[in-house]
Amino acid sequence: MNVTGVALVAALVAGFGGGVAGLVVPRTVRPVVVGACVAAAGALATLAGVAAMAGVAWSAALPWLLPLTGVELAVDPLGGVFLAVTGAVAVAAGVYGIGYARGGLDGRAVQAALPVFVASLLLVPAAGSIGTLLVCWELMALASLLLVLAEHGKRAEVASAGRWYAVMTHLGFVAILVGLLVLAGATGDGSFAAVREQARAPETAGLVFVCCLVGFGSKAGVLPLHAWLPRAHPEAPSHVSALMSAAMVNLGVYGILRVGFDLLGGGAPWWWLAVLVLGAASAVYGILQAAVGSDLKRLLGYSTTENMGLVLVGVGAGGMFAASGDAVLAALALTAALLHVVAHAAFKTLLFLAAGSVLHGTGLRDLDAMGGLRPVMPFTTVAFGLGALTASALPPGAAFVSEWVLLQALVHGAGSGTVVASSIVLPVAVGAVALTAGLAVATFVKAFGVGFLARPRSAAAAEAHESPPTMLAGMALAGLACVGLAVLPTVVLPAVAGVAGGVTGSGPAVTGAVTIQLTGVSGTMSPLLLVAALAVATALVAAVVSRRSARRARLWDCGGGPMSARMEYTATSFAEPLQRVFDNVLAPDQDVDVTHYEESRYLVRAVAYRRTLRDRVEHRLYEPVLAAVRGWGRAGRRLADGSVHRYLTYGFATLCGLLVLMVVTR
Amino acid sequence: MSALGLVGGLLQAVLVVGGAPLLLGMMRQVRARLEGRAGPGIAQPWRDLRKQLRKETITPRGTSEMFRVAPVLMVAMTLVVAVVVPFVGTASALPAVADLIVVVALLAHGSVAIALAGLDTGTAFGGMGASREVTILALVEPTALVAIFALSVRVGSTSLPEIVGSTLDDPARVVSPASLLAAVALAMVIIAETGRLPVDNPSTHLELTMVHEAMVLEYAGPRLALVELGTAMRLTVYLGLLANLFVPWGVATEPGVPALLVGAVAFAVKVGALGAALACAEVFLAKLRLFRVPELLAGSFLLAVLAVTAAYVLG
Amino acid sequence: MHAIQLLNLAAGALLLTAVLVLWRRELPVIVRVFAVQGVALAALVAALAREEGSAELAAVAVGCLVLRGAVLPWLLRRALAGAGEVQRETRPVINVATSLLAAAALTLLALAVSRPLVDLAPTPASRAVPFAIAVVLIGFLVLVTRRHAVSQLVGFLLMDNGITAVGFLTTSGIGLVVEIGVALDVLLVVLVLQVLTGRMREAFGDTDLDELRELHD
Repeated sequence: MNVTGVALVAALVAGFGGGVAGLVVPRTVRPVVVGACVAAAGALATLAGVAAMAGVAWSAALPWLLPLTGVELAVDPLGGVFLAVTGAVAVAAGVYGIGYARGGLDGRAVQAALPVFVASLLLVPAAGSIGTLLVCWELMALASLLLVLAEHGKRAEVASAGRWYAVMTHLGFVAILVGLLVLAGATGDGSFAAVREQARAPETAGLVFVCCLVGFGSKAGVLPLHAWLPRAHPEAPSHVSALMSAAMVNLGVYGILRVGFDLLGGGAPWWWLAVLVLGAASAVYGILQAAVGSDLKRLLGYSTTENMGLVLVGVGAGGMFAASGDAVLAALALTAALLHVVAHAAFKTLLFLAAGSVLHGTGLRDLDAMGGLRPVMPFTTVAFGLGALTASALPPGAAFVSEWVLLQALVHGAGSGTVVASSIVLPVAVGAVALTAGLAVATFVKAFGVGFLARPRSAAAAEAHESPPTMLAGMALAGLACVGLAVLPTVVLPAVAGVAGGVTGSGPAVTGAVTIQLTGVSGTMSPLLLVAALAVATALVAAVVSRRSARRARLWDCGGGPMSARMEYTATSFAEPLQRVFDNVLAPDQDVDVTHYEESRYLVRAVAYRRTLRDRVEHRLYEPVLAAVRGWGRAGRRLADGSVHRYLTYGFATLCGLLVLMVVTR
Repeated sequence: MSALGLVGGLLQAVLVVGGAPLLLGMMRQVRARLEGRAGPGIAQPWRDLRKQLRKETITPRGTSEMFRVAPVLMVAMTLVVAVVVPFVGTASALPAVADLIVVVALLAHGSVAIALAGLDTGTAFGGMGASREVTILALVEPTALVAIFALSVRVGSTSLPEIVGSTLDDPARVVSPASLLAAVALAMVIIAETGRLPVDNPSTHLELTMVHEAMVLEYAGPRLALVELGTAMRLTVYLGLLANLFVPWGVATEPGVPALLVGAVAFAVKVGALGAALACAEVFLAKLRLFRVPELLAGSFLLAVLAVTAAYVLG
Repeated sequence: MHAIQLLNLAAGALLLTAVLVLWRRELPVIVRVFAVQGVALAALVAALAREEGSAELAAVAVGCLVLRGAVLPWLLRRALAGAGEVQRETRPVINVATSLLAAAALTLLALAVSRPLVDLAPTPASRAVPFAIAVVLIGFLVLVTRRHAVSQLVGFLLMDNGITAVGFLTTSGIGLVVEIGVALDVLLVVLVLQVLTGRMREAFGDTDLDELRELHD
C-alpha cells in the first residue's frame, strides 16, 4: 500500500469514525470531535489526491464488502484532482462547523451525517468499478439529503427544498443507473478497467453518454436540471452548503469526464457540442438569475450553476478538440476546466462560509435588509470581499486565471476542427463566457457592495456581531486558498495540466513557474507579475496623495436633512436595470400601485411596488409536469374510492382480461 | 523584458499621466469651439487637478476603507495598463501582463472599484451610479471579447505586442472588413466604458442622466483629483489601445532615442486625433436614454460577430 | 485598389448597410442607407467585372448603380413623402436589441449553410457568398418584424439585393437579359406597392400595416 492508499484509507476511517462519534459522543464536545474528524479526513484526502495527481496510483478490491458487486477502489490522477479539491473544502468546512454547529445544529443525526457525507464525497472519485460508483453516489445523495433537512424545524421552505432535492437527485440517479448498467452489461464485473477494454457500437456509446450527461449534469446543476440546486444549497447549514456547492457538484463534472473521456474513450463531436451548449446556457442563465436575485445564499447557489456551466464549456470544447484530433488544444481546454473547478471550490467555500457567518451574526439572508456590516463584522467582510473579487473573475483572482486559460483555448481553437465548430460555436462560446463574466461582476458588486458596505438597512444588520474564532479560522483557510491560487496558480497548474494531458493523451498544455506558458500555441500570462505590478503602482499612487489627515464631513443629502437607510439603493433596485434589459428572458411579475390624494391626482400618497421573479425554466418546464402528475394523482384517486368490492373487481377483471388475452394470442 | 520595453514603459507612464488631462482639455476645447464658445484652454484640467490636490482631504461620515482606496486602485490599475501596453514601442515592459484580455479586465476592475465606492457612500446617487455602471459594464463585455476574438484569430495570439507587430508586418490587413468591423465594435466598447456620449454625458450633473458622475459625487479634494486623473487616463489608454491595434504606424521597433521620440510623437498624435474626432462627434450627439443603451451595445455585439465572420470568410 | 479587396469591402458594406437598416428607426435614414447599399452592390458587380474583364458585367454594374442606387431610393422617398406624418418605425414587432441579436444569429447561420458552396469553388467571389445570404436573411427579418409599409418595402428590396448579390457571386453573371428582367420586376413591385401605400393612407390615414387586419373584419 502506497502513500495514496494509506492517506485515503485513513481519511475514510476518520470520516466514518466521525460518523460514529457523532452518534456516541456527548453533546458538549460533539461539534469539536466531529469537526476535527471532518478536517482530518479532508486533510488526509487532500494528501491522497495530491499524491495521486503526482502519479502514485492506488487500487484495491474488496469483494466481500458488498454482495453482488463487491467494492473496488482505484485512484488515478483524474480522481486525484477531485479528491484533493473535496478534501481541501472539507478541511475548511470541518473547522468552520465547530463554531457554526453551536446554533442548534449539534443534534445526533446532523453531526453523524456530516462526516459520512464527506467520506462518501471522497469515495465517489475513488470508486474503481461501476457498482462501487453507484453505491457511493447513492450514499452521497442520502447523506446530503439528511443534511439539507437539518433545519427543517426552523423554516418551512427546508422541507420543500428537501423534497425537490430528493426527487431530482434520484431521477438523476436513475439516469446514471441506466447509462452505467448498459455500459457494464457486457463486462463481467463492471470494473473500470474491464469497461475500458470493451468495444461497443457508437449508438450504444451515444446512449450511455446521453444518460450519464443527464444524470451527472443534474448533479452539476446544469440547465434545465438545475431546479434543485438554488433551493437545496441555501437551505442547508452553511458549511454543508459549502461542501455541496464547492465539492459535491464537481463530482457531476467528474462523472462526465470519467464516462466520456475515460470509459468511452472520447466520442462523437456532437456529444461534446451538447456539453458545450448546455454549459454555456447554464452559465449565462445561472448568473443572470444570480444577478437579479436578492437572497444571498440562493444567489450563491445560482452562481454555482454558472461556474459549473463554465467548467462544462471547457470540457465540451476539450472534447470537441479531441474529437477533431487536436490533443494539445483539448488538453488546454480541459486544463482550464479543471483549474476552474479548483478555483471555484476555493471561492465558493469562502463565500458560503462568509454568508453563513452573516446568517450567524444577523439572522439575515436577504440582501435588501443587510448593509453596514463592515464595522461590526470586519473579518467576514474581508472574507466575503475576497471571495467576491475571485468570483467576479477580475484580475488578480483565481477565477480570472482559469477563465483566461479557457478563453485562450477557445481563441486558439479557431483554427482547428470543422468550420462550423470553429467559426460558429467558438465565437458564440466566447460571447457567452464574456457575458457570464460581465454579469458575475454585476452580481458580486451587488452582493458585496449592498450586503456589506454603506449603512445597515435593518435593525438585525445594525446589531450584527462577529462570528466565533473557529468559524473565522475556517474562512481564513478558504481565503488563503483563494489568495494562493490568485497569486501563484502555477503551484497547482502544472499538476492539473498534467492530469488533463493524461486524459487527452498529450503532454501538459500549460507550463511555467512564474509565467503561465501555453505549449503548442502562443500565449503567456503571469499572475504573480501582475500582482507585483499592481502592488507597486498602488504604493506609488498612494504615496503621492496620502499625506494629509482627513476631515470627516456630512454626506451630500440634497439639503434634505440626514440621510436614512431607506434612501439607500437596495439589492433589488441595484439589479433593476439588468432586470429590465433581460426582461424577455426573466419575465418578472411586477406590480406598481400608486395611490393619490383625493384632492388631486397629481399628489401621490403612496407607491407600492411588488416584484416576484420566478425561475422561468422552472416555471415553464417543471410546473406543467408537476401539474400533470397531480392530475394523474387525482385520476388515480377516483379509481380508489375505498370500496373493497371495487378493489376485488379490479383484480378479477385483470385476471379475466389476461386469460382472454392468452386465448386470443395463442 | 527588453530594453525597448522598459524604456518605452516608463516613457508611456509619463506620457499617459502627463498627457491625459491635456487630452481631456483638448477635447473640451474642440467642443467649445464647435459650439461657438471660447473655451478655457487645453491646460484647464491640469489647473483643476492642481487646485484639487492642494485642498484638504474630506471623508464623508459612514464610509469605509473602500471609499478611500478606490481612487488609488483605479489609478494604479490604469497606470499598470499604461506601462505594459505597447504604445510607444513594439515591446512591452511586462510581456507576461500585456495580454489583451488581461488589459481589458484590468480596466474593468478599475470601474468596479469606483462602483463599490459609490455603493459605500450609501447615498441614492452612489447606488444609482454604481448600478448603471455595472449594468453597462456587464453588457459591454461580450462585445469586447468577441471583437478581441476577431482580432486575435488572424494573429493566433491575444498578446498585444504580437498583434501590434503582426499589423506592422502586414499593413494591408487594416483595410479588411474584419478589421474595420472590429474597430467599430471596439470603438463602441470604448465609448461605453469611458462614459462618453451617447452612453453617458461626462459634463452632466442631472440625476436622471448621470452614470459616472453619480458614483463619484461624494469625492472632494485630492481624492477627486485622483478620480478625475484616473478617468482621463482610462480614456487615453483606451484610445491609445484602439490606435495601436489598428494603425500601429510610428511605433518604435528598436531601442534608441530617435525611434522612441518618433514613437512618442506618433502616439500623442494618434490619440489626439482620435480624441478630437470623438469630441467632434459628441457635438452632434445627444445622450441616449439608459434603456436604449442595450440597443447600442447589441448593435456593437452584432458588429463584433460580423467581424469574426468576416475574419473566417474573407480571411 | 485590388479587385479582390474592393470585392471584400463591397461585400462587407452590403452586410453593414443591411444591419443599419435593421438598427435605425428613422425611415429617411433607412432609405438613405438603402441607397448606399445599392452603390455597394454596384461596386461588387464592378469588382467582378474588373476581375473577369467582362464588358457585359460592367454594363450590369452601371445598371445596378442607376436602378438600386438612384431610382429605387427616389421612389422610396416619394412613397415616404406620401406616407404622412409618421416618419419613424415606432414599434417593431420585436424590439431592436433583440432583432440585432437575431441578425447576429442569422449571419452565423448564413455562414454555416453557405460553407459547402464555398468549399465547392473557393474563389474570392464565392467566399463572399455568406455575406450575401446573410443580407437575404436580414431582409426577410426586416420584412417579418417591421410594421411600417415603407420599411417593409425596404426589407423586400434588401432581400432582392441579397439575391442579386448571391447570383453574381456564385455564377459570375446570370446574363444581362435575366438581370434586366429581374430589375424590371422589382421596379414594378415597388411601383405597385407605392400605389398601395398611397391607397392605404387615403383609407386609414396611416401606413401601419397592422391596420390591414381591419379589412378582415
